Amino acid sequence: MSFFSLEQKWFKFVKSSQIKLLAFFLIALISIFFLSVTLGSFDFNLRDLLSRKSDSLDSIVLFEIRIPRVLLAAFVGASLGISGASLQGLFRNPLADPGLIGVSAGAALGASFVIVVGSSFFPEFIFGTFILPFSAIIGASFVISLLYIFTQGFGYQGITYMLLVGIAVNAFASVGIGILTYISTDSELRGLTFWTMGSFGGSSWQLIMPALIIISLTVLWLIPSSRKLDLLQLGEPEAYRLGVDVRRLKFKVIISSAVIVGLSVSLSGMIGFVGLVVPHLVRLLGGVNHNYLLPGSALLGASLMMGADLLSRILIQPAELPVGLITSAIGAPFFLWLIFRIRKS
Amino acid sequence: MRKIYIFFLLLPFSIWSACDKSNDPSRVVIAGGSITEIVYFLEYEDKLVGIDVTSNFPEETSEIPSIGYVRALSTEGILSLKPSLILGEEDMGPPLVINQLKLTGMDLKIINEDRSAQGILEKIECVSKILGITTQERLNKIKNLTRDINLLQSIAKKNEDKDIRIMLILNMQGTSPIVAGQNTSGDGFIKMVGGKNVASNFEGWKPISSESIIAYDPHFIIITERGMSSFSDIESLSNTTALKFTNAAQLGKIYSEDGMAMLGFGVRTIKTALNFAEIFSK
Repeated sequence: MSFFSLEQKWFKFVKSSQIKLLAFFLIALISIFFLSVTLGSFDFNLRDLLSRKSDSLDSIVLFEIRIPRVLLAAFVGASLGISGASLQGLFRNPLADPGLIGVSAGAALGASFVIVVGSSFFPEFIFGTFILPFSAIIGASFVISLLYIFTQGFGYQGITYMLLVGIAVNAFASVGIGILTYISTDSELRGLTFWTMGSFGGSSWQLIMPALIIISLTVLWLIPSSRKLDLLQLGEPEAYRLGVDVRRLKFKVIISSAVIVGLSVSLSGMIGFVGLVVPHLVRLLGGVNHNYLLPGSALLGASLMMGADLLSRILIQPAELPVGLITSAIGAPFFLWLIFRIRKS
Repeated sequence: MRKIYIFFLLLPFSIWSACDKSNDPSRVVIAGGSITEIVYFLEYEDKLVGIDVTSNFPEETSEIPSIGYVRALSTEGILSLKPSLILGEEDMGPPLVINQLKLTGMDLKIINEDRSAQGILEKIECVSKILGITTQERLNKIKNLTRDINLLQSIAKKNEDKDIRIMLILNMQGTSPIVAGQNTSGDGFIKMVGGKNVASNFEGWKPISSESIIAYDPHFIIITERGMSSFSDIESLSNTTALKFTNAAQLGKIYSEDGMAMLGFGVRTIKTALNFAEIFSK
């Protein structure tokens, strides 16, 4: 199937009002990107900077510190948004979120391991700053393999079974984190606590480049499954009879979510509620078909995450709030409202 | 070429304990309460443009912009204060932010930590050197301090022969006290006053069961004031199940003290240690 034919298919299942909405999301994304790049605790005159092209502190702050950070926030937001949307579609459950299958917990376990016992196990001069993301990705991959083994390659056992496995895996990971918390020293414990609240601070090009490429490729791989996710809403047997290879679809959605969520968590810590709330917001605005929902969730997730990161940087400057606090502070009330709405209808 | 250069800058550095004189100590940012204390002690506070949240002594520090918690700093936040010099304790972090600060060519100095009276003197010496304070000036300033240290060490020496068993509590986690084990600032403090840390069989700060506390049988118990804040007075603390069967509680030998004054290992720690050494020697 060539890319062109995919394009045609995509347009066939998106309403023109939805295309307008997507264009609006894109404009919002670009505006927030520029806002995020220009605002921050470190002040400089952007026009001055661009004309001088100097190697001054100003340009280091802009190009080596702020832009990588804003980009990472955007990609993590897009990852969480799109994986939330596709998992909610796959599990046919509006309350599914990327944390549910246990991948975030696995990544968190890997990261905690480095924070607490890291320096004595990994020679730091080899891995350098990659050591924490590296270990988090190992943790996430471990969880993915566990899921794969216990569901026999995401096989025929049905979705509930997979959710239960996810719960068990989550519990297992929290035991690991608990043990690490217990053996940590006071200062490691503080490090751990701050890490779990999430932050985009300290991003550098070397660190984020591989992640940006992998996330982009995975998202492009996932989006063509949209129509199949639509059909899956009729039920697994029905979708199967309509020609959807359900097993392959499950494999694709779970693997891609696991990869992008694992990468996101490994680079930025645990950031709550974005994966859950963003798809709902996109659905409320424009509709439920996945051809619109998946790209919409990615775009809106990126915008919201950049916005949250901007707030975390400027609210109490020169200090910084953990970004996870901001997303949860906004997400939790929305979640309550959502539950309330579902109950009423 | 520039890429390679940046890559090398991003490689983690080993211990950065340079006490060399700074080229420009006119705008100083500090991450670590003990260093702030020392800078105030050296009367250099008018150069401070930013401090972290553990720098809460003396009270005037509240007027200086806060750069957040010492282990969760923000690169841009610090740079926005346009510092010419950054001084930090060893637990300054996260490492990625420190790498970024180095990348900008900032004069960043991480000061070595040794939890002893001698360590405090060395820290003062190191900070003085960085700030360009002459040896003569420094010796004048620390005259009283060295006298206190000498006194403290002579009392501590006598205390050591008496086998004084001390337990230091950070706070109560539910009903279990969080106790200072080996390699903690609390352990360093107990050694400074010439006592014996009862909690010698584990490392770090850990919650301890009532049974272990009875087995430890401390002669004296010290708790931080923050840990005390959940109790109305020492009496009600002594009556908790965890502590009430110990010798210390029954004889009323439980003391509370400001956490940073005791465990911060800045200038104040000497005075606090001297007080406690005198109490224990009786």
